[in-house]
Amino acid sequence: MPAQAAPYDYEAALRACARGEQQALHGLYQQEARYLLGVALRIVRQRALAEDVLHDAFLSIWRRAGSFDATRGTGKGWIYVVVRHQALNVARARAHEVSADEDSVETLLHQRQGHDAGDAYALQADMGRLHDCLGHLDDAKRNSILYAYVDGCSHSEIAQRLQAPLGTVKAWVKRGLAALRECMG
Amino acid sequence: MNSHEEDELQRLASEYVLGTLELAERLEVEQRLPLDAALRDAVDAWERRLHPLAALAPPETPSAQLWPRISASLFTPQAVRQAGGWQAWWNSLAFWRILAGGGLLASAALAVLVSVQLQAPAGPGYLVVLVAPQDKSPGWVVQAGGRGGKGRDLNLIPLGPTSVPQQKALQFWTKGKDWGAPVSLGLVKPGQSVKLPLDKLPPLQPDQLFEITLEPETGSPTGRPTGPVLYIGRAVKVM
Repeated sequence: MPAQAAPYDYEAALRACARGEQQALHGLYQQEARYLLGVALRIVRQRALAEDVLHDAFLSIWRRAGSFDATRGTGKGWIYVVVRHQALNVARARAHEVSADEDSVETLLHQRQGHDAGDAYALQADMGRLHDCLGHLDDAKRNSILYAYVDGCSHSEIAQRLQAPLGTVKAWVKRGLAALRECMG
Repeated sequence: MNSHEEDELQRLASEYVLGTLELAERLEVEQRLPLDAALRDAVDAWERRLHPLAALAPPETPSAQLWPRISASLFTPQAVRQAGGWQAWWNSLAFWRILAGGGLLASAALAVLVSVQLQAPAGPGYLVVLVAPQDKSPGWVVQAGGRGGKGRDLNLIPLGPTSVPQQKALQFWTKGKDWGAPVSLGLVKPGQSVKLPLDKLPPLQPDQLFEITLEPETGSPTGRPTGPVLYIGRAVKVM
């Protein structure tokens, strides 16, 4: 049996970044970049753009490390927050750019990649309470939430994927989130 | 807080974290976060609830060039210390990639990146990228309020030269959502910055239109744009 490596200390890495230790940021990158790039890529859907998101997010992490507050969440969570919101901002800004045609082509291509967020959910049982609470939602609400969070889908993209009216999708998302909050506390 | 306000707070926080807010509402939340403890707490709670879902995205190995790029952006002099202002978006690759992709609302991307990267407290400001309507190439930037301390001016800054035929002039206009007609902000010289005091203008608003048209040498004779629009863009509120 190989010896168990000590778990990576995200909070310590952020504190070191805040002190200006460049090696700490590199360590964080080596530890987490492939997972973070995975998250960004699902949301922005283009590899070059996803790498740009990660580039900009690491700049933010370095500059804002001093503002990380361990009483409000974990270091790992904070890093994902920076990357996800950077990716979402780019995706939402870009939605204004891309013509409807181009967008639907991209959505189709994306769907054909096969990795559906809904399928991934079924395979992933180690999400603790969230998994149980998502399990209590009906498929439509659960998929709406997964498409939004994991794939960065807007309401209208979810409507397209689930072939449901926009207003219905908005209600699914809203009620699904309310039910999750109720369930998880 | 009554239950209606609580519901609205939860809606904003949860859909911000989920990612389903429209761009304008996203920006609004990001602006409120540093100032609004209740919203911040609600957002934190939602980030914690939903974070496990991030594990559903399959990992992707970054290209070998990515770390050197990050390192070069951060650990070379100059760019490092000025964590805001023009540098932040000028250096933002995602921004330029989007801009190069074209689009009238490139200014939205700009604002987003600025708001993400500027976490230092500063009053609200506005940014606009004016682009050519045909090829969406950026020609001018408008910056107003916000960073830079006093910030009581509106700055129109050229990104490059604009060629103007003889006996013609560039005229700068703006129009708010509910205004009947554009208001002239005066003639501008190609390739030269202009600074206008904000207190002489109607209050700026999000989505406010700015444009530069080609007019007779002494300006539009009618007080409204008469010539072709050379550059156009909308204001986006940024931190």
